[in-house]
Amino acid sequence: MSNVIVNRVKEFLKRYPPFTFLSDESLELVAKGVEVRFYGQHEFLFEQGDPAQNFFFILKEGSVQLLEMKEGHDRIVEVCDEGDVFGVLALLGKRPYILSALAKEDSLIYAVPVAIFEKILQENNKVALYFAAGFASGQVVVRSDLSQSQKARALIKDASQDNGLLIFTGQSDFTYSVQVLTCPQGTLVKEAAALMAKNEVGSIVIVNNKNQPLGIITDKDLRNRLLAKQKSYDTPVDELMTSPVQTKSKEASFPDLYLTMIKNRLHHLIFTEDGTPDSPVTGILSDHDILLSQGNSPAVLINALLNTWDVSEMSKLRDRAEKLLAYYLENEVAMDFVANIISEINDIIIKRAVEIAKNKHDENYPEASQVKFCFMSLGSEGREEQLLRTDLDNAIVFEDVPLSKIKDTQDYMLLIAQEVIEILLACGFEACPAEIMANNRKYCQPVSEWKKLFSDWIHSPNQQALMNATIFFDFRPIIGYKGLSEELTEHIYNEISGKTIFLNFLAKNALLNPAPLGFFRNFIVEKSGEQKDKFDIKLRAMMPLADIGRLLVLSHQVIGINNTFKRFERLSDLEPNYKELMLEAGKAYEILMRIRAIEGLNEGNSGRYIQPEKLGKIQRQLLKNAFAPIDELQKIIRVRFQLDYFGS
Amino acid sequence: MRIFDFFRKDKAPKSAFVQEYERLFEIKIPSIRPIRQLNFVVIDTETTGLDAQKDFIISFGGIKVSNYSMNLQSTRELYLDFQIQNRESIKVHEIIYPIKSIPLKDFGKAVLDYISSDIIVGHHIGFDLMMLEKTLKSFGLKKMLNPVLDTQYLAIRLEKGPHFDFSMAKPGEYALDNLCERYGIALDDRHTAAGDAFLTAQLLMKLLKVAEKKGINDFGGLFRKL
Repeated sequence: MSNVIVNRVKEFLKRYPPFTFLSDESLELVAKGVEVRFYGQHEFLFEQGDPAQNFFFILKEGSVQLLEMKEGHDRIVEVCDEGDVFGVLALLGKRPYILSALAKEDSLIYAVPVAIFEKILQENNKVALYFAAGFASGQVVVRSDLSQSQKARALIKDASQDNGLLIFTGQSDFTYSVQVLTCPQGTLVKEAAALMAKNEVGSIVIVNNKNQPLGIITDKDLRNRLLAKQKSYDTPVDELMTSPVQTKSKEASFPDLYLTMIKNRLHHLIFTEDGTPDSPVTGILSDHDILLSQGNSPAVLINALLNTWDVSEMSKLRDRAEKLLAYYLENEVAMDFVANIISEINDIIIKRAVEIAKNKHDENYPEASQVKFCFMSLGSEGREEQLLRTDLDNAIVFEDVPLSKIKDTQDYMLLIAQEVIEILLACGFEACPAEIMANNRKYCQPVSEWKKLFSDWIHSPNQQALMNATIFFDFRPIIGYKGLSEELTEHIYNEISGKTIFLNFLAKNALLNPAPLGFFRNFIVEKSGEQKDKFDIKLRAMMPLADIGRLLVLSHQVIGINNTFKRFERLSDLEPNYKELMLEAGKAYEILMRIRAIEGLNEGNSGRYIQPEKLGKIQRQLLKNAFAPIDELQKIIRVRFQLDYFGS
Repeated sequence: MRIFDFFRKDKAPKSAFVQEYERLFEIKIPSIRPIRQLNFVVIDTETTGLDAQKDFIISFGGIKVSNYSMNLQSTRELYLDFQIQNRESIKVHEIIYPIKSIPLKDFGKAVLDYISSDIIVGHHIGFDLMMLEKTLKSFGLKKMLNPVLDTQYLAIRLEKGPHFDFSMAKPGEYALDNLCERYGIALDDRHTAAGDAFLTAQLLMKLLKVAEKKGINDFGGLFRKL
């Protein structure tokens, strides 16, 4: 036998799961048994109903479609690309093929005898796991639903046990007190303080007669609300306590708990039996407990950010946040959690930047600085999806002032915006190339002007203007007077109701980029320029999904959900007929975010342009699965908004 | 040609394995046998140079193809013990796999046994055949008796028609590298006999498919004298 040839086959197999998990000897055994087959275009490898062959197949070159014959029609179930494994049924079940495999172009196939592989399957856990995890259930590597692929990915990840810094390894990672110090309503503060001292704890929970939590008093409350205010020690705890309290169930996932604490700036989180304040107290989790379990954590970063006024320090902290992001991505931490943490960190930086700017300029604008305003993030940051420090998109809305004061007010706002943008740039963010930023006079306007702008978009939409305007519909207030942004939201929804023409335009916009289903075959890559032969994951996959999510949410007049995957989650409730699809779309978006962020971190850029051939097999599979919901959603939208009748 | 050999006095006595090989050709392949049922052996040799007189074979690589399929069990690579050390060419050919070379006699027998009566396929195969015949001459082999298919010739015939004058082709247009690229065959490391045979085998399968589309379906069609 020829070592040279066996080695070539080995080298190829090694790149794709499940072969990635094989030892060199096992791989050699497999490679030696391989039969290299060639199928011309339009030839069948096997047909539905054929008895299983003693081989399963890996596509070496070319393209193979898996078809399902139903009522005389072929339905394409899957298009296999290089490295895809199919015909696995023979390996597992020894039943006839349930799909046909057709060579869509001339294809080179490696056929692996089942006998050899069965032996390896017995020896190697990971390989068995791979097949069992649904990746290869039934016929192939067929598009199993996304959660299964995610699961498989997690399993494989676990099995390979690589990198050290695991941030979340599960519930057992943190400890909390089951002994909760409580006192009834009406207890005097001095009594409560004595109890705390006696038990050597920093907090006490006030409960009713059913042991349900009503409020909490901490060391800090005693200092700030009692001593500093020179209140009597005989004040009842009811007057001093923080109420109502945030409660969770012990069963809640750690990320969920953690997030609740970070978002609400809680030092203590109370556990109750069913997680609501209307059930008995069962435990208490302090931020100290969390810090102990976390080491270098978002809480630490956020805390540090809240305690600095130094821009270079902020910049360093934001860099550290990126390291955190890398750990999260490596460790498959749930995307909504990751996105939330990073958005929170970004928000804090923006807030701090606004405060710094105000401290600097307010004294020169005694009047203008009293005008209420709201600093808003737009686009991906508005949707809480910006993991990397890509384009800044933001705007300022301020309350209406008399005509005579407009100029002065706007000048002040622009100064603030300029300062904020400069701080953000110093913290590593990129400027928006289209200058959709608050320091642009056009996007630093009183609320009445903003309303006019939105009304214009809604009443007389035109395709070009809308393409740039969509990101404005994802605004989110960061700091300042939130009433202003709420007023805008209200205005938009009032304007939209009944304006189907606007939704039609939005729908059309959402279909501008068809789903890249032919991705791995036809390589819908950039045809020229610097990004030649790369795939624009933002334009081709993320934007269509974000556009669709926005469109559907707007069409349902749902307010206040900005996040694309949360929008789809909501839509899965609103559209029970498409429940599965909506959930898949949400997951697809998370996967795309993840892949883009990983690419961006690895390449030190925006991660927007992906080189398809550089992706690992699993990433390709995930990516490919992620495209399917886009296509289905676009079809639905085409029909629902009757776009075929809608002039272009 | 063969008739002259008869008069030649200096020919070596025929080894048993050569006699065995020659007996295989008493039965001819029927011309209507479909391509799918033909047995091909795709071969390549690595030599010390390009001079058929002075140079000699270093290694032989082969893979069998039938019914558009090749089994890795059917692959061969053989290395011949060196009589003369030619350093330069070893450097050029850079054989990186651990190899076990065999003496000339074993090499000759192994090659002939392996090739058997299959249709020999190679790229620019004439030279390899010449080298093989030279190597096997001392065992009494006068000539390789197998039908021979040159993938270079086949590609030209399919692309330009049977009457194309090869000298009109652009330089390198029908070199193995270029053909592989044209037919979408991934070029891995080249310049090992077995590696090139593997590439040539893939090219063969693609070309045979093209041939079938053009109505060349059987042995007769493939070897029609033009």
